[in-house]
Amino acid sequence: MPGRAMTAGRLLRLYPRAWRERYGDEFLLTVGDGALHAQQVIDIVMGALDAHLSSDVRRATRQRAAAGKGASNMESVFRTVCGDTAFRHTTRDALISAGAMLVGTVLLAALGVWLNRRGWPVAAGISNMMAFPGTLVMVMPIMFLKGQPWRAQVLIVGVTLLILTAIAYLASVA
Amino acid sequence: MKKAPDSLADLGRFSEPALYILISLADGPKHGYAMTQDIAAVTGHKLGPGTLYGALARLEARRWIEALPAEDRRRPYRLTAAGQRVLRSRLDSLRALTRVGRSRLADA
Repeated sequence: MPGRAMTAGRLLRLYPRAWRERYGDEFLLTVGDGALHAQQVIDIVMGALDAHLSSDVRRATRQRAAAGKGASNMESVFRTVCGDTAFRHTTRDALISAGAMLVGTVLLAALGVWLNRRGWPVAAGISNMMAFPGTLVMVMPIMFLKGQPWRAQVLIVGVTLLILTAIAYLASVA
Repeated sequence: MKKAPDSLADLGRFSEPALYILISLADGPKHGYAMTQDIAAVTGHKLGPGTLYGALARLEARRWIEALPAEDRRRPYRLTAAGQRVLRSRLDSLRALTRVGRSRLADA
């Protein structure tokens, strides 16, 4: 029935383009021409959300896209090994972030001392309180957020820094 | 410590559908529709398309299954050697769990 097929097609638009290119045809064939029950619609919508958020799903669609463009087996393996999953940092990344954290913490603490001496106690308090947690958040793209989409990295780091700064400010003026 | 992605349990809410898919593919390649029919017949669970393809993508990303060339727009999937190992390991642990459960039921 055209109406029903259209509903499945419309729901398919909720999925990322790469996903549709990879799985779209077979997905529609699997859904079939039968009526879509509410439970199926919910399942498809949840699947679309998952397709946008899951690094595994992105990796699977990217692998197929690479294969479709004639990527070599080695490239395909490389993409699989280096695909973005939860933790993708190397030992080198860990060392760099450890160094950055040490330097950042010392610099912010020193800045706090300097600001205090200049007569800006609130700014000094913020700087001191942010010394370790602020640096930790800022090195997250090198470590825990490595391989994640840059928008997600900016959002997580930016919002966390904003919250930390607000807490540090409130604590300093109290 | 980084957890190696070598267990079905790592797939979270997709671990059970993924197990069903691996079992379904254990006797030969199937496409999505054939898998849902087979799984419904064997387990009584009808996987929704969102769940099916979420699990398929995860299995494919881990190279536990692989897609074969499409036949008339339908793309069959088959179990890889790594997928067979994971399935065997999961079934062994389920057998051990069943054994413990049964023995405790017998003791009660």
